[in-house]
Amino acid sequence: MNNAVVGGALAVDVDGVRKTYGRRIRALQGVALHVAHGEIFGLLGPNGAGKSTLVKVLMTLVRADEARGSVLGQPVGSSAALESIGYLPEHHRFPPFLTGRQAVEFSGAMSKVDRPTRKRRAAELLERVGLGSWMDRKLGSYSKGMKQRAGLAAALVNDPRLVVLDEPTDGVDPVGRREIRDLLVEMRSEGRTVLLNSHLLSEVEGICDRVGILVQGRLAAQGTIEELTASSRRYEIVIAGDVPEWCGTDTRVERIPSGMLQSVGITGAATRLLFLGLDAHGAQPLLDRLRAEGRIVISVQTVRESLEDLFLRAVTDPSTGLILKPGAAR
Amino acid sequence: MTQTAAIFLSAYRELSARRLFWLALVINVLVVALFATLGINEQGISFLGWTFDSPFFNSNTTSPETFYKSLFVTLGVDWWLGLIATLLALVTTCGIIPDLVAPGSIDLLLAKPIGRARLFLTKYASGLLFAALQVSVFSLASFAAIGLRGGVWEWGLFLAVPIVTFFYSLLYCICALAGMLTKSSVASLILTLLAWTVIFSVNLSESIVVAGRIANTLETAAIERELVAGVTKDGSEPLDEEELETLRTDLQRAKDNRVDWDRAFFWFHGIKTFVPKTGDTLELLDRWLLASASMPTRDPDSERGPQRAFGPRRVKRGEYERALKDEERSRSIVWVLGTSAAFEAGILLLATVVFVRRDY
Repeated sequence: MNNAVVGGALAVDVDGVRKTYGRRIRALQGVALHVAHGEIFGLLGPNGAGKSTLVKVLMTLVRADEARGSVLGQPVGSSAALESIGYLPEHHRFPPFLTGRQAVEFSGAMSKVDRPTRKRRAAELLERVGLGSWMDRKLGSYSKGMKQRAGLAAALVNDPRLVVLDEPTDGVDPVGRREIRDLLVEMRSEGRTVLLNSHLLSEVEGICDRVGILVQGRLAAQGTIEELTASSRRYEIVIAGDVPEWCGTDTRVERIPSGMLQSVGITGAATRLLFLGLDAHGAQPLLDRLRAEGRIVISVQTVRESLEDLFLRAVTDPSTGLILKPGAAR
Repeated sequence: MTQTAAIFLSAYRELSARRLFWLALVINVLVVALFATLGINEQGISFLGWTFDSPFFNSNTTSPETFYKSLFVTLGVDWWLGLIATLLALVTTCGIIPDLVAPGSIDLLLAKPIGRARLFLTKYASGLLFAALQVSVFSLASFAAIGLRGGVWEWGLFLAVPIVTFFYSLLYCICALAGMLTKSSVASLILTLLAWTVIFSVNLSESIVVAGRIANTLETAAIERELVAGVTKDGSEPLDEEELETLRTDLQRAKDNRVDWDRAFFWFHGIKTFVPKTGDTLELLDRWLLASASMPTRDPDSERGPQRAFGPRRVKRGEYERALKDEERSRSIVWVLGTSAAFEAGILLLATVVFVRRDY
């Protein structure tokens, strides 16, 4: 791996990133992004939330009005940091007159990789992304998915410590997506940091160690999915038969504390009880009570919000309960 | 250095992927082959076995060496390289800067450890590669043709490579700026052609004014000589009072006109100072290759009168044309190249600033 830049504790450690286009479009409003070395970080957000602008600030394509911090221990946009970064932009356009091999070698040369190394790595990487038999054909003849694979190879040719990928599976078929996801996991196991900008929540949920959700130029949430969904953890107990009286509306029966029971669902001969704020220890009295009443407990499991639920919660205006309109703040 | 070499290699691959590049190269060779089929003998000009009699162009008035060098400069450089090949080159390369700044393409380059100014200027320089390659092939082929047909191995022909490439760069910098601003190949091509028309018009206007001013100077001197001599043009008899009065009136008119010519020269020459001297740049090749050559000249006594617009009436045509050529060649190379280079530098600075400051 390219160890030209060792960096500090964080691979990406930026604060107060602001960018306003013109006078009105506030694309980024003081974003703080912290990505640890060796993790896969998923950057999420609705269209126009500022994800691409944030990535472009890190890659020096967009000049921030203000940005403090570092990337790989170097000031944002420094040449030394860029030497150790691999970047695959969304809708990238490699020259169609180049072959896959030439495009990857060109990318290596632009990253100051010496000739023998870039030649060797180009061949290795193109094999790795499944383009071994296509590497000497012109990119103009590639499908979108193949171009995406070639782009990934180009992003890795300089043996980067940080890989920034903007929608890497865009246009790739399901098998290819799986392969790319596997490749990202391999990158992590090699010690690389991956900053993944994707709108495919299932993809992010499956492989990302931590996520950040950008909404209207602000980072609405940042952390592991576990951390972000902790407050929404629920216990689901499915029992045979009707709803217990103490879960019902009969006021003569001693009921469970208010707010603990989130919902009750009846499906066929079974009843699903969802309890909020319970841990395994707290669930035992409830199970004891159900057993004491002779009820059959079919299943007990912890349930938490999906990333999609979390995402939707992040993009919902708490005051109105409506989903915020896409686009930057004005 | 690795990055610069990579950009140039990529530019070469881009050019060689275009049919127009190869077409232009083939035409280059054909143009040289065409003038290699021309020959000069005692009767006149020969072409594929036919001889076209010419009292003006034959081996008695012009050596084969000068004939071929003249063909190289006038047909090859001025017409082919200076006009047609330049148009082909502009059509081929006008997309380089718009392609560079196109979304998806610029992202891949700016994310690399290379300064924006260096990236832009290297890409610009790679755009000149087309012109440089075409002129190199043309010069090499001409060198061989003149050597084989004229018997002279004229290394000076290779001066065409830097001169024509510089000439092309004067237009291509405008193309680059237009491409940077409009992000459109077609718009940048059209704007470059418009700018070239303006530059040509300024240069042409200035040369007309210079010609008029020289004619005025020669005419004034001729009238004064006639007045001092006080005899007719052939010197056979003294001038009568009516003829003398006519001369005095003509002299006064010429002196009055001088003020207008000087004022026009001040403005047109001033304006020309700030625009690229495309014509004068190509003229340098003519100056260096043909200055010492024995080019045929007109019989100085053959004609007199207004052969050109604003030409002097009392001065022989040969003398007037020599004066024009002398004026053309008296222009400082530093002025021709220096002011043109300053224009190019200014345009490139502007384009670079736009490129560096823009968000992508």
